[in-house]
Amino acid sequence: MRKILSNLFPEQSSEVILMISIILITLLAVSAILLAVKKAMPEKNITEIVNRTKSWWIMIGIFIAAIFINNTASYVFLAILSFFAFRELYSVLHFRQSDRSALLVALLTIPVQYALAYFKWYGGYIIFIPVIMFLLLPPIMVIKQDTHRITKSMALLHWSLMLSVFGLSHLAFLLSMPDLEGFSSGGRGLLLFLVFLTEINDIMQFIWGKTFGKHKILPNVSPNKTWEGFIGGVISTTVIGYFIGFLTPLSTSQVIFTSAMISVFGFAGDVVLSAIKRDKGIKDMSDTIPGHGGIFDRIDSLSFTAPAFFHLMYFLVYPPFQPFEEICKNL
Amino acid sequence: MQKPLIKSICLNIIYKWLWRPVLKFFVGIQYPDCSFLRNEKQFVIIANHNSHLDTLSLQSALPGDILWRVRPVAAEDYFGNTKLKAKLSNFFINTLLINRKSKKEDGPNYSMNKMLKAIDDGYSLILFPEGSRGEPEQMSKMKSGIARLLAQRPGLKYVPVFMTGMGTSLPKGGMVPLPYNATLHFGKPTLPETDDSYAIMDQIEKDFANMVEQYGIKEDEDDD
Repeated sequence: MRKILSNLFPEQSSEVILMISIILITLLAVSAILLAVKKAMPEKNITEIVNRTKSWWIMIGIFIAAIFINNTASYVFLAILSFFAFRELYSVLHFRQSDRSALLVALLTIPVQYALAYFKWYGGYIIFIPVIMFLLLPPIMVIKQDTHRITKSMALLHWSLMLSVFGLSHLAFLLSMPDLEGFSSGGRGLLLFLVFLTEINDIMQFIWGKTFGKHKILPNVSPNKTWEGFIGGVISTTVIGYFIGFLTPLSTSQVIFTSAMISVFGFAGDVVLSAIKRDKGIKDMSDTIPGHGGIFDRIDSLSFTAPAFFHLMYFLVYPPFQPFEEICKNL
Repeated sequence: MQKPLIKSICLNIIYKWLWRPVLKFFVGIQYPDCSFLRNEKQFVIIANHNSHLDTLSLQSALPGDILWRVRPVAAEDYFGNTKLKAKLSNFFINTLLINRKSKKEDGPNYSMNKMLKAIDDGYSLILFPEGSRGEPEQMSKMKSGIARLLAQRPGLKYVPVFMTGMGTSLPKGGMVPLPYNATLHFGKPTLPETDDSYAIMDQIEKDFANMVEQYGIKEDEDDD
């Protein structure tokens, strides 16, 4: 399997290839078990978990193809992901009719933000949405002169943009990270580490909660979440993170800290979105992915873990970025 | 009724292969499963109307093989004011053009007679009883034509369809559609309970009131 994958993705390091093999083998094993259960106990209703596994195959397939085959395609893929997520968010939050033009302008920030990541201009990338768009979008709303509930719209729009575009675009900037000496996996290895751990954390919290869950952690937000699920999730994610630490340039203690942090932030993203769905009285953000709901139902934790992980890496392992003049010279 | 092969293929290409993916991925319209309409020989789809996207998304939601025999009823003064426009919209949108101002005395050109003839020819119809597109995301009063139509053809089923978000995506007068997760909610094919047009109108209005209650946007009127 590793040989086939090395031929498929010749530019990837052996660590990344190993990790992709592990993911595919795990998925194969789960599918085989499900198939066996279906054969052995046809009376048992496992349609939901079968649908979810099918969707996992598709999602993992698309993700691996998008991230590891072509560099430019990776950025485009992540930008499209941001677009879907942002659209889902503002569709659910119900903006006013007069906010249409501000929403259209906000959509245009997606290509700009990902282009900034693509051209590795860190300074522009890190202030574009938090500062420039923060100042530009409210006046665009004001031009319409509809002041009824405009405060709410201003706040909602920038918050949605931060979460779905700025937050997720950190995945793209991971790909733009400079090479480090003695670390062959590069930003792609870090991206794989982050996405794998975040998703495995979701699954682990779910499994621990389902098996041992007793004490509810936030009963008014998400009745299915328990202390057992949370703590079990943090522990198992940290252990798994320790074993796939070969994807990162981190020391052992750094890997343990980072994995635990990913787990906690993943949980935070999950419950924040649950709270919003509860407020809006909906179960899923949309019906894009069978068995999972909307795009944002799947990547809610990622929109929290991505910025947290990125800035921790920036602090721990990366030297300061090159100034703008040098980027211009290299373009 | 013979299936016009070229027209059917054309409609399939336009709605299932071109419009549907565009509407689904770029605009974000969420399609329900409509294959149950295959089991119905004939029906009248009744939908709320807020946007030009309405007809497009309704038609691209239908099963491809019945597209040719479902005709959206459209205003002649808008879609057929020139001969060419009428021909084009007949072929590519499969419209049934009616004159909104026509009277009983106009005979076969009277809008009701035109619809009845289409029904008798075996076509199903898509009707927007609100008439024009109106204010975005608000339902206006339905006109009674639909009830009179159903009263004159007992046994004809109607399918209520409630759409949300279309008027936000592309409101009346809007130029650029805003990507938006607009949704189509299909009701069950229903037989009118009586053949009295007033009672039928009440029945339809009740169906829509239920759907608005269930799926409509609840504007939170908080204390400000």
